[in-house]
Amino acid sequence: MSEYILELKGITKIFPGVKALNNVHFQLKPGEVHALMGENGAGKSTFIKVITGVHAAEEGQMFLEGKEVHFKGPRDASAAGIAAVYQHPTSYPELSVTENIFMGHEQMKNGMIQWKAMNQEAEKLLARLNADFKVTEEMGALSVAQQQMVEIAKALSTNAKIIILDEPTASLTQNESENLYRIVEALRDEGVSIIFISHRFEDMYRLASRVTVFRDSQYIGTYNVDEISNADLIKAMVGREISDMFPKPDVKIGKEMFRIEGLSRTGFFKNVSLNVHAGEIVGMTGLVGAGRTETIESVCGITKADSGKVFLDGKELHVKQPLDAIKEGIILLPEDRQRQGLIMSWGLGRNVTLPIQSETAKNGFNNEKKEREIAKQYLEEVDTKAVTIFDPATSLSGGNQQKVVVAKALAQKNMKLIIMDEPTKGVDVGAKAEIYAIMGELAKQGYGIIMISSEMPEILGMCDRIYVMCGGKITGCLDRGEASQEGILQLAMEKGGYDKKEEAAK
Amino acid sequence: MAGKSGRTIQAVPQNSAKKMIFSWEGALVVLFIALNIFNMIISPSYNITNILREMPKYLAEIFMLFGMAYILVLGDIDISVGSIVCLSATLACVASNAGLPMVLVIAVCLLVGTACGFINGIILTRFTELPAMIVTLATQIIFRGIAEILLGSGGSVSLKDTSGFNALAMKIGPVPLVFFLVVIAAVIFTVILAKTTFGRKLYAIGSNSTAAYYAGVKVQKVRLIVFTVTGLLAGLCALFLTSALFGANTTTGQGFEMDVIAMAVFGGIATTGGKGNLVGGIISAFIIVLLRIALGQINLNPQLILVIIGALLIIAVLIPGINNAIQAKRKMKSA
Repeated sequence: MSEYILELKGITKIFPGVKALNNVHFQLKPGEVHALMGENGAGKSTFIKVITGVHAAEEGQMFLEGKEVHFKGPRDASAAGIAAVYQHPTSYPELSVTENIFMGHEQMKNGMIQWKAMNQEAEKLLARLNADFKVTEEMGALSVAQQQMVEIAKALSTNAKIIILDEPTASLTQNESENLYRIVEALRDEGVSIIFISHRFEDMYRLASRVTVFRDSQYIGTYNVDEISNADLIKAMVGREISDMFPKPDVKIGKEMFRIEGLSRTGFFKNVSLNVHAGEIVGMTGLVGAGRTETIESVCGITKADSGKVFLDGKELHVKQPLDAIKEGIILLPEDRQRQGLIMSWGLGRNVTLPIQSETAKNGFNNEKKEREIAKQYLEEVDTKAVTIFDPATSLSGGNQQKVVVAKALAQKNMKLIIMDEPTKGVDVGAKAEIYAIMGELAKQGYGIIMISSEMPEILGMCDRIYVMCGGKITGCLDRGEASQEGILQLAMEKGGYDKKEEAAK
Repeated sequence: MAGKSGRTIQAVPQNSAKKMIFSWEGALVVLFIALNIFNMIISPSYNITNILREMPKYLAEIFMLFGMAYILVLGDIDISVGSIVCLSATLACVASNAGLPMVLVIAVCLLVGTACGFINGIILTRFTELPAMIVTLATQIIFRGIAEILLGSGGSVSLKDTSGFNALAMKIGPVPLVFFLVVIAAVIFTVILAKTTFGRKLYAIGSNSTAAYYAGVKVQKVRLIVFTVTGLLAGLCALFLTSALFGANTTTGQGFEMDVIAMAVFGGIATTGGKGNLVGGIISAFIIVLLRIALGQINLNPQLILVIIGALLIIAVLIPGINNAIQAKRKMKSA
């Protein structure tokens, strides 16, 4: 018996035109949580697909419990006890939890599905995970965290010995992440081996005993988590040293330029007041669902507030639709860049110039030459990793997509206030640092900046002032000097916050 | 700005000559030429004079192609246009028979079409969660229903005085007036779609209406305009159809919506939105019209003509998929 339950040696995977994996190695011990880290595009996902039999590697060997295996498809991997759980569960939203768990391996007797037995089995699995929902519930009605639990239950139902978790915490709240940590720890203690992919260092420190780093399709190294420093790990991932993750410039804060007074929308947020000064980076944080995004969406005209006032440069605004806000110079970088921020099938250039096409146009006719110049200028300014401005947005990594969204904002000449909703979600550490640098630069130029974020390090690292929301209300405002992780968390979970359910019931 | 690595991004568009030849529009041009040769072989009377003489009754439909193309690019659909033609033509005949001057008859015809399109647009933009397919299916039934009520038990109306409509059917030299109007409209609608900010907005909405809205596009206003203009074009179609048929009945315009959708799809416009252009749509419209003329000349059963056009449509939607597969294979080999 080998020391490793899973071992891959010299794996090379070639896609048309690119080497997605170049001679990489990986060793997984029985009953360990092993983190796999690297920037977007480093080859982690491809590697997972090789393990799960989705892709066949051109070169290399794979050993399962010491024996060499060749998977012809996902079915082989599944039969061998390997299961993967993805960030966005690939489930059947209309079907019940039980049906999802047993999809593809239903319990049959004489050609009939054994519902009762399956439901009982599913209940047992969910009980093992401390789940708080019923097996008869519709998958689509569950939260992302609950859906992930179903996926984990599905993995357990096939008696998986190796479970791969691909960025499972990316869409989870703090509490949900904590719960997931407990589940992973329990599985580990039961002897299941776990490969954990995440951009969050927090996840790794909390769970993993060892970490393997990929960079540019290459294997960089495997380290014991308690022996490698944070800086060394980042260097391994990025290939260079990031001396200052949060380059917060010392900017002289100007006069107040933006103010919200008593903004309310029934069922979402109540009596929200805040202000922003020129050159100031203002954070908005709180748990997911605290009403941060909803407040900002009302400011930007995406939804309508019931009451309250919004002022920009002392003038009251009456924003009815996004175009009104854009015309006033309030530019939003939306949270979901693939759905709200970019037209993914379009080239980068067209995306950048979509909001300003009318300004560059002559008599309604597009000035394509000028648009190309502007797109090139701003895409280069934010250092987008792209070959041409005609590359489709789908061809870029998450971090570079976000840079395109930033370029799109910068191209709008009348910009005064820039609102970034989770600007580094799903973005790797190198691109994160670059986005923070751009943010600092914008503050220096005197723009007002609001950053909505759930990530404590960037809120503490970049913001001059931090508003904390809970249950639709602002529960506190902390200055840079007095803010701490504990202080923010306390405000974010403060009791007596505005109860949305109660309001909706009225 | 920080983070600058001196990387440059190319912004020079590729030479488009090669791209054009291998595009779907390029293939359609080849098909257009091949079809004309085919037509000449099967039909001895397939010549310019005869084509120009028979063309007007098919041409009126093409007006609606322009509106339908815009609607499909938006990711919407309008299957009520055939019924709008019926209602507009019926009311135009009623107005003419009531003794209204021709100018007012034309106004009635166009206004009815515009109003019908506006109704579609208002419903769809006020209740954005409703699918266009279902709403326009409902209005398809309603518009034709109203026309049938007006047509009464006979189910048809004939013009008492055809002089006004005869003027519309006039010819400039050997070429019918409607041909010029179709060509002018084709140029205008093609240029607006390809070259203007309005056209770009249509593609933005059809590709991702949420992102378009966030970027400041007035999504619902654009949709309302496009549906209303499509109604106007259906009115225009009704006008020239009446000038060719001198009346209207309960089957006027029936199936026209499918004809124009077929022309658009055959021309490379995706029903999923955001893709295609009118150049392809117009070439394919003429391919279908000319095929109909030639098959009509050899007295082929009209139902069989439908079968042939349907088969062509399936091939048209299959080809891009096959093409993609071939290119993917080629890429694999070169890697």
